[in-house]
Amino acid sequence: MNLRPSTILVLVVSAILFVLSANSYGFALTLAAFFTLGIFSFLYKDNPMYKFCEAVFVGISAGYWFVSLYYQNLLAKLIDPLVADPVGSGAIPYYVVAILGIMMLMRLVPSIGWISRWPLSVIVGATAGLWFITYLQSNAMLQLQNTIMPIQEYAADGSLNWYQSIGNLTVMIGTITGVIYFFFSKEHKGAFGTSAKVGIWFLMITFGASFGYTVMSRMSLLIGRMDFLFGDWLQLIL
Amino acid sequence: MNRSFVRSILLLLAVTAWAVFAVAQDDTTQPAPADTLQETAPVAEAPAPATNVRGEDTPGDEGGSITVFWDQSADDTGIDAEGITVIGYEIRRTIDADNVPFHSVGFAAPGSERFEDATTSDDSTYYYVVVTASRDGGRAESDVIGPVQSSPQWFNTNRTNVFIIGLIISAAILYFIASARKGKQLFIRRIAGLEAVHDAIGRATEMGRPILYIPGIQDMDDVQTVAGVTILGYVARTIAEYDTRIDVPTSRSIVMSTARETIKAAYISVGRPDAYSDDAVHYVTDEQFGYVAAVDGIMVRDKPATCFYMGAFFAESLIMAETGNSIGAIQIAGTAMPAQLPFFVAACDYTLIGEELFAASAYLSNEPKQLGSLKGQDVGKLVAMLAILAGVGLFTLAQLTGAETINNAAQWVQDQFLLN
Amino acid sequence: MRRQVPLIITFVVGSVLIIAAFIPHYPFGRLGENFSLYFDIIAVFAFILGGGNLIRIHGGKFTRGIKLSIAAAKKTGGFWPLTFLIEFPFLAFGGLEDKRGRDWFFSFITLAGFVAMLYVGLFKIGNPDGWGGNVTHPLSTFQQFYIYMFNPLQATMYALLAFFVASASYRAFRAKSPEATILLATAFIILLGRTPAGAYATGWMPESLSFLHVPNLANWIMAVPNLAGQRAILIGIALGVIAMSLRVILGVERTYLGSDRE
Repeated sequence: MNLRPSTILVLVVSAILFVLSANSYGFALTLAAFFTLGIFSFLYKDNPMYKFCEAVFVGISAGYWFVSLYYQNLLAKLIDPLVADPVGSGAIPYYVVAILGIMMLMRLVPSIGWISRWPLSVIVGATAGLWFITYLQSNAMLQLQNTIMPIQEYAADGSLNWYQSIGNLTVMIGTITGVIYFFFSKEHKGAFGTSAKVGIWFLMITFGASFGYTVMSRMSLLIGRMDFLFGDWLQLIL
Repeated sequence: MNRSFVRSILLLLAVTAWAVFAVAQDDTTQPAPADTLQETAPVAEAPAPATNVRGEDTPGDEGGSITVFWDQSADDTGIDAEGITVIGYEIRRTIDADNVPFHSVGFAAPGSERFEDATTSDDSTYYYVVVTASRDGGRAESDVIGPVQSSPQWFNTNRTNVFIIGLIISAAILYFIASARKGKQLFIRRIAGLEAVHDAIGRATEMGRPILYIPGIQDMDDVQTVAGVTILGYVARTIAEYDTRIDVPTSRSIVMSTARETIKAAYISVGRPDAYSDDAVHYVTDEQFGYVAAVDGIMVRDKPATCFYMGAFFAESLIMAETGNSIGAIQIAGTAMPAQLPFFVAACDYTLIGEELFAASAYLSNEPKQLGSLKGQDVGKLVAMLAILAGVGLFTLAQLTGAETINNAAQWVQDQFLLN
Repeated sequence: MRRQVPLIITFVVGSVLIIAAFIPHYPFGRLGENFSLYFDIIAVFAFILGGGNLIRIHGGKFTRGIKLSIAAAKKTGGFWPLTFLIEFPFLAFGGLEDKRGRDWFFSFITLAGFVAMLYVGLFKIGNPDGWGGNVTHPLSTFQQFYIYMFNPLQATMYALLAFFVASASYRAFRAKSPEATILLATAFIILLGRTPAGAYATGWMPESLSFLHVPNLANWIMAVPNLAGQRAILIGIALGVIAMSLRVILGVERTYLGSDRE
């Protein structure tokens, strides 16, 4: 017999799970707990239990997505409208889209695989066109519009609000130096280089801010899983 | 019996008789339509009507909508005001002012001076009346206006500024692409993350380990994925030259197809079509974390020497980047997801920040016309900077001097970026 | 020809969609909105390629592994099915000499999970409302799979981030470049600002220095330098997207279309 550590681990874990699930709380919950522990075990190292969880996850999630796509996209967005009105002028786009979809599958026939580039070029062309407009509006113009404002702000009694005014000035300097950092056609040297340097500091503060802002929410995810393990499953905390 | 008692009884009888009579009277009247009731209701003083009512086709739309404008009722002075309180305006419409009664199409809040009626047909003409309503039930109709007709437009005038700004930036990009094509030398600064690409591939080759390339987790309808796949094209060219193994797990089927075309073309372009195999690109699962679970598995088992992350990423960015770090891979990332950039910056060796991701394919291609477009982008940045400086400067000056013209100029600058 | 037609399609579709943004008139007005609908439909067709690839890869690994395992069992002599059964954990979980056959059991699990999910989903197995019912009915087998398998796996994978955030912070802490220091210091202030500890630690400061109270400082960072950085990044991204879109539409960038020569 060639019993390796991996085999022993699998057997031990299976035995523990069997005992625990026999100890009531339901098989399904224990299954969920097994998957939870299996994924966490990756933090220690790659192991058969993680591989098992990974395999299950990949298989069922791919299946889950296909079933969802089938009901929500194919049936609801293509078949239903076509069944409701198969010959009207409104149906033409759906037939075109269906043909494009089938062209996508031509990849499976090597001799005419090049046809699949047609739907692909429709997709990429449309993506390029749509994002061009969206980004021009929501990213470029909206940000500029919001940045253009007076620097000084006054308090209710008419005196200068230093705190706000300095903030406004900083926002303007940060935005401009940040944009300078992205310049491609000019060497980052001299005054320009210094500005770009200040720009990258602003970018780093931005990154730090969203980093710090996210940490707490990530911790709460972990707490959520611990709640499940010790509360829902083991019922140690109520 | 004392007199006061008798008087009380009589009074009570009288009141009862009056009440019975009143109720009987009421019973004989037909239930009145709402309008009549309001007219006979205890005389509420009618508010001043809305004046100067105009109706016109809503501009810049696909038809089916008329906008009605008016000047506020003179009594519309806020809900806490003394005297008559205007509680809103009712907009009523008909297709024939003389023969068909008006019916309500909507209400506008007090203080408003316009209403968009988006339920019109482009084939009919309409007449409108604006009814000012007060809290006490008083109502006042404006003059009837019409006929008005809605129609679709061929140009959305609300977006004229978007059109012009888009045109300026596009023209700059096209100009520099054209001039680069003619052979004009353009300077492009070094981008460290992209300079490192060759070394990173070389390292994998020396170590005899594969290269992992993640083109984001979104589909081809995200422009970041398009950027990720084009960068893959140039990376794959070097990989084909060096004869290194590349592994591209994808989370979308269309991305899988596109990545295959791209890599295959790269192998063909360096004259090694035989070395290409479809197995280099494989589909994992559409599910974000299922995909990451599998990618993490690939990392710890295959131990790639170099990992690329180029495209759209969400929370999984850090899971992959930290796992890649734990196996000692050189990591080059690029994304335009602002929320994920910090994690790539912290965990990867090089990170292409936002705009650099989209510039990367042009930079790596080293083709003059592609590099020309980068110079064109810079013109866009220059315009942005000048607009900020001019707008902020003028506004600040206007506040310091109190000059109306300067303020108008500042407002003009800001309006150029206004989205309607 | 094989590349010319796609290039023309990209050009026409891309430029029409840009121009359509300025034309409210039918049929241009809703082109953009409709595209995402059409894309969703094409994606379902494409899934046949992806799902097919998944079946091919894992099916291949599985059959290869089984064959190699049987060969290994036969090699030990005796009644090989018995050997195969006894040594199953070893043969299935990565014990094979030949690397190509390793981990075949996990490929089997992936396939089984995929097929099972398709089966219970497409045939609405165990759905109390039968064929007419919603596929995501809470008591359907499909949704039960989701609740007890998919969901814990997904949530736990997500929760791994708690550990990775910690290790990434430590890495940034060790980097010692000025940029990394700025990033980490900012992150630390923001983190403190979001917890009671921050307010407690600087609460003793006099009112005149109130802007140094950690919660105030954190708010200031979020509202000022963070905002400036965000704007610079967003403006840059917009220009990057615009230039990239133009390159794609004009056919200057065409690597994604593959090669002329097959």
